[in-house]
Amino acid sequence: MAVTVEMPKLSDTMEEGTLIKWAVKVGDTVSAGDHLADVETDKATMELQAFDDGTVAKLILDEGATVPVGQVILILAEDGESVEDAAKTEVSTAPAPAKEEPPAEPASAGGSDEPEKAPEPAKPEPQKPAPAPAKPIAAATPTPSPQAPASGSVKISPLARKLADEHGLDLNKIVGTGPDGRIIKRDVLKAAQDGTARPSAGGASAPPMAAPQAIALESKTTQVPGMRKTIAKRLVESKTTVPHFQVSVAINMDPLMEMRATLNQRLASQGIKLSVNDFITRAVALAATQHPVINSSWMGDTIVQHGTVNVGTAISLPEERGGGLVVAVCRDVQNKSMMQISSEVKELAGAARGRGLSPEQMSDSTITISNLGMPQFGVTQFNAIVNPPNAAIVAVGAAIEKPVVRDVYGEKKIVIGHEMNATLSGDHRVIDGASAAEYLTTFRSLLENPVGLLV
Amino acid sequence: MTATNASPSDVSNNSRPSDKLSDDQLVKMLYDMMLIRRFEEKTMQAYQQAKIGGFCHIYIGQEASAVGSISALKDDDPIVGAYRDHGFALARGMHPNYCMAEMYGKITGCAKGKGGSMHMFDRDRHMYGGHAIVGGQCPLGTGLGFSIQYEEKDNVALCYLGDGALNQGGFFESMNLAAIWNLPVIFVLENNNYSMGTHIARGTAMANDLSAKAQAFGMRYAECDGLDVLDVYNTFSDQVAMTRNAKNPQWERGNWDEIEYSREGSNPGPAFVNVKTYRYQGHSMSDPQKYRSKDEVGEYKERDPINILVNHLIEAGKATQDQCHELDSKAKQVSKDAITFAEESPDMPTEEMFTDVYANPFGPYIKGGLPNIITNENSGE
Amino acid sequence: MVSTNGRTLQYREALREAMEEEMRIDERIFLMGEEVGEYNGAYKVSQGMLEEFGPRRIVDSPISETGFGGLGVGAAMYGLRPIIEFMSWSFCLVAADQIINNAPKMLYMSGGQFGCPAVFRGNNGAGGQLGSTHSWVVESLFSHVPGLKLAVPSTPRDAKGLLKAGIRDPDPFFNLESERMLGMGLHGDKDYSRYQHANKWAPPENDKDFIIELCKADIKKPGTDCTIVTDGRPVHFALEAAEALEEEGIDVEVVDVRTYRPLDIETIAGSVRRTGYAVVVDQSWPFASVGAEVASQIYEHCFDDLDNQVLRVHNDDIPAPYSRQREQDMLPNAKKIVDAVRSVTYNA
Repeated sequence: MAVTVEMPKLSDTMEEGTLIKWAVKVGDTVSAGDHLADVETDKATMELQAFDDGTVAKLILDEGATVPVGQVILILAEDGESVEDAAKTEVSTAPAPAKEEPPAEPASAGGSDEPEKAPEPAKPEPQKPAPAPAKPIAAATPTPSPQAPASGSVKISPLARKLADEHGLDLNKIVGTGPDGRIIKRDVLKAAQDGTARPSAGGASAPPMAAPQAIALESKTTQVPGMRKTIAKRLVESKTTVPHFQVSVAINMDPLMEMRATLNQRLASQGIKLSVNDFITRAVALAATQHPVINSSWMGDTIVQHGTVNVGTAISLPEERGGGLVVAVCRDVQNKSMMQISSEVKELAGAARGRGLSPEQMSDSTITISNLGMPQFGVTQFNAIVNPPNAAIVAVGAAIEKPVVRDVYGEKKIVIGHEMNATLSGDHRVIDGASAAEYLTTFRSLLENPVGLLV
Repeated sequence: MTATNASPSDVSNNSRPSDKLSDDQLVKMLYDMMLIRRFEEKTMQAYQQAKIGGFCHIYIGQEASAVGSISALKDDDPIVGAYRDHGFALARGMHPNYCMAEMYGKITGCAKGKGGSMHMFDRDRHMYGGHAIVGGQCPLGTGLGFSIQYEEKDNVALCYLGDGALNQGGFFESMNLAAIWNLPVIFVLENNNYSMGTHIARGTAMANDLSAKAQAFGMRYAECDGLDVLDVYNTFSDQVAMTRNAKNPQWERGNWDEIEYSREGSNPGPAFVNVKTYRYQGHSMSDPQKYRSKDEVGEYKERDPINILVNHLIEAGKATQDQCHELDSKAKQVSKDAITFAEESPDMPTEEMFTDVYANPFGPYIKGGLPNIITNENSGE
Repeated sequence: MVSTNGRTLQYREALREAMEEEMRIDERIFLMGEEVGEYNGAYKVSQGMLEEFGPRRIVDSPISETGFGGLGVGAAMYGLRPIIEFMSWSFCLVAADQIINNAPKMLYMSGGQFGCPAVFRGNNGAGGQLGSTHSWVVESLFSHVPGLKLAVPSTPRDAKGLLKAGIRDPDPFFNLESERMLGMGLHGDKDYSRYQHANKWAPPENDKDFIIELCKADIKKPGTDCTIVTDGRPVHFALEAAEALEEEGIDVEVVDVRTYRPLDIETIAGSVRRTGYAVVVDQSWPFASVGAEVASQIYEHCFDDLDNQVLRVHNDDIPAPYSRQREQDMLPNAKKIVDAVRSVTYNA
């Protein structure tokens, strides 16, 4: 018996998914847990894993196709079953269970008695019920049930193409319900309404600028893609419902920079390179263990103080993945070594920018870091918006060389030193200014005495 | 242009209508025949030089038919014919320049280069065209006769056809309609013995007695020597007179049993006239003439219609040999001039392609103007 | 005749009104055809006209379509305004050389000297169990030919207005009537779809100047969901389909082309641009039909406005069968139109 794989529900709000890339091809043998495909939800791109063993018999979706959750997207042949037989398996192309059927054929009362009989053409009778739907006539094209395009280019009606252009929608992300999965007007209008087909990234890449010329700014309105909507909704909610306050601190990063250079030199042979962010991540977590109020959540009637520190890191996604940002979560950081943290965060960032994060990798953060300290930005200080239900987010600027006052052999001197600003945005319902200051003091102390981070 | 109000010949006095032709009229008939001959020679030359395209049918040998019959008409008697039509155009008075230019496909042609060799039209000279589908002009000629009767005019329509058209259904339908309504139309059979390469005896029943074709419809029948222009003239003078003012018996309702269709005699009505002629050239310019012997053609050339008239005029003292030579030289020059005119005229321009498709045009079509042969002064409506 | 519900006027009477009114003002017009005079018209279209206009102008022709068809061409060249009635357009085929080789080309071949202001009219289309040879529809055959104009009126109003326009027009005009519609209007509004009620199907009374300009398509029923483009008798099939579809919530627009030459593609395209869907209905056979031409022009004009391919509904691609029910099945009937509209609007 062939096994079908359906479009999974990969987030709480997910109604449909887009198949970004198949990781298998027909004939491949897969085992449970194997990576089958990358699927984009309204929030992120996820890996779809196999839950059964078998041989890939049929890939039902083309890359780029969007289908409702629950629709069969792949067929596996079980042991002893031929791929050919399995591929013939009748699959339900019905969309998600809750979804409404397309308009049903009209109920016909009297006409259904003689479905074959043509109405008497010359004598219209206003009260006569609709002729019963009969088998499709030869001249008319039957309209099959919705399904994905068979192969290759997107099938779309000219009008739908025009409308999609007008709405700036990505055709690959619109579910076609016409014959052979053709995208038709109502599909585009639905996608435009639902915001489920954000514009394709880089679709309109500008040609390389050959010579200075008049700068033409394109004026355009684009449909808000799903992720952007999620970001907008959550941040508006945070900024409008969470009473924010900010506390900043300047941190002397000279010791850490020095130690990091030394460590990386030694670790280079193992292919390890610790980033400043890795130290910050550990510092955020260790400081939180000393100030658990920072590592808490406002739950309305209760305040939950978390028993572990899961540090979320905001990761911006590259344009070609549609932009936006996700929060990747590194768990139990207080119990992890610098090396562990470093490799985990690296993997998370890579996954976020690549195939996408799993729901697990995006959930259950207890405190968040937003780091714009990358040298190319030159950001020294900024305020972040709290990422609910976290009570705090630490916004980190770049560690830059600047004139600083240092105690040089017992003497205050202005020297060139690395300094980094960190700003904690807190949920004032949970944290008070003093608590924030105490936390930042610990945080600063950990970074200024980085050896403590290594143990 | 010869116009005559000939009346039925007075048989008892043995005088003939041609006896009343003036010397000038006779000379004009001779010149018209010479012009057709020389013009057609130039036509053949131009065709062989690829200046003229398409199908091209030469009238040489048949000159007496067109000239003799048209000379017996009033200027405003309408004529319509088949595709061997250059001779008719010239006999009707179309300037040779416009006729030749039409064959050259030039805008100065009688149909602005849209018709070609087979479609010579001249509204001001009541020439309703050469028509290229064999027999297709028969109903048109019937319609001309119908219109004359409808308008109660005293004209006669001449509808020319070749012996090939005798076997088309439209010919018989036309003969029948003309007979039942007694229309003022004469069906003129230009019988040159061949429909393309098929001898009339092979394709037409009763070829030995074509009066049967008329008898079937109770229609007058006449025949004449198509190589003798005066015989043609005399025959048509008589027949036209007996056709003019034909009345429709069905305009009186109710006495159907009394309609008499056998009108041999004095009652005006339609006629079928067999003009026995001969063409010297092939059916068209591409005809190798395998179906007849050179001897046969040679025999007919012994009785050349132009020579017959020349001899007659010289014998009767109505013209001299020199006069005849002079006329011939003039015909040659006029034909040569027609070639020059056609050569020097501009092609039918692209913008003319979409004119004259509709009199009341729409979309891509454009209202057209009239060709050069019709000036604003002499154009009709 | 005025009934309490409005005007009652048969299609055949509208044709007669058109001819009578024009003949009274233009002495050049005559009517010729089989049985048009003493018999009062094979289908009573010309009933009473012989009495008014006499045998000179109402001319009974023998059964010689080539002869009297061509006679009409010659008379038109001469300057008269013939109306040539074919008892059925099925009988015109023997006159093809005259009506499509001579009439529409005369003006061009003569370089503008001789036009052909003739009207050719008669019954067109199957539906009366007449067998194959008597069931011709000729709009596709003849609309092919440049130089002629061709109308397929669907109501008494259009029949009168278009025929009057055609009689006055200086070009050869083909009026394709329908034996099956000649009696429509006898019972007033009752004979028509409710979309045509309130005498929308009837010409105005006592208006001798009423004509319908050629090349003006008519929206017989406005709608938003799908355009049905059709002509002549199938207009009524389409209106019947529209009533059925309305009950399903599909609001179609029925566009009556009225004339195929010229074709008012602007009105058709305007409608398709509004609805995004098109079904083309005509009673020709499918191959190289006027419906195919209209569909093609819709693609040319509205490509980016179409949400589905254009569907065509035609006569089935067979000779007309005699069997009563099978003949009805062959026609582009309301059932086929309903199915096509459902399919094209993705409601199948």
